[in-house]
Amino acid sequence: MDQHLISWIVFLPMIAGLVLLFVPRELVKWVALFGSGLAFVLSLLLFKTFWGGDAAGVFGDAYGALHHVERASWITGNKFNIEYFVGIDGLSFPLFVLTTFVSLLACLASFNFDSWKINKGIKAYFFLFLLLETGMLGVFVSLDFFLFYVFWEVMLLPMYFLIGVWGGERREYAAIKFFIFTLAGSVLMLVGLVAMFFYSADAVAKYPEMATSYHTGAPVTTGTFDLIELSTNDAIQKYFGEASTTLLNVRFAPLMFMFLFIGFAIKLPCVPVHTWLPDAHVQAPTPISMILAGVLLKMGGYGFLRLCYGIFPVGGEFWAGFLAVIAVISILYGALCAMAQTDFKKLVAYSSVSHMGYVLLGICVMTTTGFQGAMFQMIAHGISSPMCFFLVGVIYDRAHHREINRFGGLWLSMPRYGSMATLGFFASLGLPGLCGFVGEAYVLLGTFQAGPKFDWAYTAAICAAFGVVLTAGYILWVIQRVYLGSVREEYKSFPEANGREMLILAPLGALCILLGVLPKQTVFDFMNGTLNLLINQIDSVTQVAMAAAGG
Amino acid sequence: MTELIAEIPAWFPKAAEFMTFSPELAWVGTLCLIMLAPLAIGRDARMIAGLAVVGIAVTAFFTLKVMGIISTEGPKTGLTPDLAGGMLIADNLSLFFKMLLLVFLVGISILWMSVSAAQEDDAPEFFVLLIGSALGMSLMVSTHNILMMVIAIEFASLPSYAIVGFNKHKRISAEASLKYMIFGAVSAAVMLYGASLIYGFFGTLDVTQIAANVGPVLAGGGANQLLVGLAMFCVFVGIAFKISAVPFHFWCPDAFQGAKTEVTAWLSVASKAAGLLLLMRLVNVFCVNAGAEVLHGVAVVIAVIATLTCTLGNLAAYKQTSIKRMLAYSSIAHAGYMMAAAAILVDAGTVESFTAISTVLAYVVVYMLMNLGAFGVVALVESKNGDDDSITAFAGLGWTSPALAIPMLFCLVSLVGIPPFAGFITKWYLLAALGEAASGLYWALAIVIVINTLISLWYYMRVVVQMFLKESDKPAIEVPMSGTLLVNACGILLIVILVFSNPLKERADRYSAGLFSPVPTKLADQGSADSLAQSIPLDNIAAPQEGKHGG
Repeated sequence: MDQHLISWIVFLPMIAGLVLLFVPRELVKWVALFGSGLAFVLSLLLFKTFWGGDAAGVFGDAYGALHHVERASWITGNKFNIEYFVGIDGLSFPLFVLTTFVSLLACLASFNFDSWKINKGIKAYFFLFLLLETGMLGVFVSLDFFLFYVFWEVMLLPMYFLIGVWGGERREYAAIKFFIFTLAGSVLMLVGLVAMFFYSADAVAKYPEMATSYHTGAPVTTGTFDLIELSTNDAIQKYFGEASTTLLNVRFAPLMFMFLFIGFAIKLPCVPVHTWLPDAHVQAPTPISMILAGVLLKMGGYGFLRLCYGIFPVGGEFWAGFLAVIAVISILYGALCAMAQTDFKKLVAYSSVSHMGYVLLGICVMTTTGFQGAMFQMIAHGISSPMCFFLVGVIYDRAHHREINRFGGLWLSMPRYGSMATLGFFASLGLPGLCGFVGEAYVLLGTFQAGPKFDWAYTAAICAAFGVVLTAGYILWVIQRVYLGSVREEYKSFPEANGREMLILAPLGALCILLGVLPKQTVFDFMNGTLNLLINQIDSVTQVAMAAAGG
Repeated sequence: MTELIAEIPAWFPKAAEFMTFSPELAWVGTLCLIMLAPLAIGRDARMIAGLAVVGIAVTAFFTLKVMGIISTEGPKTGLTPDLAGGMLIADNLSLFFKMLLLVFLVGISILWMSVSAAQEDDAPEFFVLLIGSALGMSLMVSTHNILMMVIAIEFASLPSYAIVGFNKHKRISAEASLKYMIFGAVSAAVMLYGASLIYGFFGTLDVTQIAANVGPVLAGGGANQLLVGLAMFCVFVGIAFKISAVPFHFWCPDAFQGAKTEVTAWLSVASKAAGLLLLMRLVNVFCVNAGAEVLHGVAVVIAVIATLTCTLGNLAAYKQTSIKRMLAYSSIAHAGYMMAAAAILVDAGTVESFTAISTVLAYVVVYMLMNLGAFGVVALVESKNGDDDSITAFAGLGWTSPALAIPMLFCLVSLVGIPPFAGFITKWYLLAALGEAASGLYWALAIVIVINTLISLWYYMRVVVQMFLKESDKPAIEVPMSGTLLVNACGILLIVILVFSNPLKERADRYSAGLFSPVPTKLADQGSADSLAQSIPLDNIAAPQEGKHGG
């Protein structure tokens, strides 16, 4: 059990999904809840491994210390050996647990399926939901690039149907837009996948004396799909970073970085490839919006850290200025768009664009604090944004519209709900003491720290800090318009949030506070070790590359 | 004339040669049997179909037997006085393709039984034409000789023209048949003209000889270069017609729309696969015998045509309203992908690592499953819908007949080439083969292919949208069990092959290795050297080449 733990967690939802196809209709949602619930409980077992964090030495002394590793040969040709290779480290662990947690809550949020406007095919809905969960979990734990890619794409089809069949009025458009945007990002990743494999084979052939594997200690002799090997093997890193390594006459590292970056940037999303997000989030049913905002967006950030920066730090250095511009634009433009919305759900969707801009900014400055901030921001946003989407969903269920300007005084008619809503939106705002603050503060600090390295860093930090003001603006304004003011006649009779709704909101609200008050104990302890080692790895590679360029 | 005949030595094949070509003989026997059967057992469709399947099974038995012989004794040639010329070859590739055709014939027969058998009066003629075209196609892949190639292509084409027009009561069917025939006749004429030019120049129709001698001629420039280049291109036109490569694809949508759907399924896979594998065989011969300068030129020509084929196929599919036309264009696009593998022409020294043929073999197998499944569903739906082949006829199918819509979904998504379906793994093999060849041309082709994947998503999803996202008040479609089982088997196999792809790849590797490859010098020893020397202008032949073929 212990060595297959990760595989069990990943595939349990899918197994539950297959089981529910054969049970009576009224039991379907309970099977689904059982599947995602069991996955969550099992993922809590992982805390045992990471308990104590760096002090307990769980992160090892070099990037690539993995736990619960399971590797087996999967697709073997005479040329390549693709593995089923899963494992977990400080980078994936928080996101992995976040995924099981948000999925469980989203499953619970789907429990009123029968009262939805479109409520046909309950088995199909929960089956696709659980398949989606398996895909998401798989992305975070697969350490073989090919496997990663397969999981990455496995998510597309379920998500397409979940939006396209059970979504709002413009669901068809939103679903295909999501599909095409995401696939557009991943097709170039596929070329990158092929290129990285054959170039890593060239690398170990060119520098066989440096090709010692992190894993076996023996020299690597063939190309590899192992994501950790690709980032830690000296021969591969040296060859990838060299200016003389080219593909189609373009320097290899920056080009590959871009190939991968486009895919992750679409997922994150950042301006200008963010346009699928408002459509998909708004049209998707509430639980799916929670998943989209809570988990799917994080895959972009995770991909940056694990693949783009882990494997092509030289490319990261090359594009840093460009990425910072995109990040700052995302922060400001997302916030301004959010401010202009009259649709409540669209406002939350645009706030995601703005918040994920901080993630990109924190990553692109390539400092320890920036990385930590970006990761924390992802976790925090993974808690606050599903909460916000669910809060919107709760009143949409009652009012059947989402026009901000038609609401007012909801706090008075629904006091419990109103309090949770204020908590959730303040967490999203980044109020000190709540989870949103820590991430943003770390990102800004990290950006300032990069001042000596990048001359644009101060400007970027100042612009991004201005985004905080805008965020406060649109969130305070929406709270004022929706929750404050006198009670309106039409909303007077709205029932208070029921038990199921509070069951979803309460843990999210509690985590908003907990993460804000104890960021070290709840998040940083579990990931900083790996992030520090990753930064060390990146620094050593970029210094070698710089020395080579200078010499 | 009489003197010429007198010069041919007395020749009769040995008994062992009959054994080597027992599949062809069994095939011909089956044809004769079906033709004569109505005299004995009447014209009952089911009886005839059963007879055909028995004939196919016997042929398959002999094919397997010969496969066993080949695997121990190596590739063979026979039933021809010119044993070195490769007039008729039994090697891994040709036998594999025979086996594939036979399996596919069984699939088509099952489909025909569930769709057309009830209202068909001319079952014997149908099966004679179907199996006859199959024999022609299998001969296409079993030769190195341009004369035999021309005969085989005609042998495959003539029954195809007739079978496309088999819907005798429909005007559109006759029109399709006529278009197909006119187009086929013109390309055959062009091919014959090219063959006659080649024969006039080289004094031989053996491709091995031509490949070995063509280098200096093409490098020499002037009229000879033009003549030989043109002649080679003319021969290529004949093959491109079978593959339906752009710009020789115009027959394809019309013929596919006019024909019965099971015939369309047959032609879309078998005829294209035959053309492609013939092309692969030629590519192999050229790789073994020709110099780098020839290879590069041929590779560029094929790469350009492959790019045009897949791009135009995908763009044209975009606006189709008939699903059969749409799938016709999709098959053009897929032919383009497979042709991209044919563009991988590497130097003779690295032939052992030649993965292109293996890639195409794996692709063809999966492509057969995808098209059989997709056209199978189209045929089943169409047969209950009054021959309505518009995409909108699929509206709501996912909710009324999931047993048809789900395999259709699997096949379509697999045609796009994304996980978790086998279409992805074959696309991956293709990209890996291109990446392995490691030059700018092939990287560019890889990028063309992935971008085409993205374009193709849109039109395949149009059908998915109709099936699952649209409502329909039509009742569920009642179709025969055998047809439903067939398409579901295809759909499930597509997932199985993704997860367990090793057996497929191993076999593809095995059957693409050890192809029949005669040594060019042998022909010279047998007395044809004179004609070769006379027909090639001496000043165009470099000295080393003379030595190579003289001694």
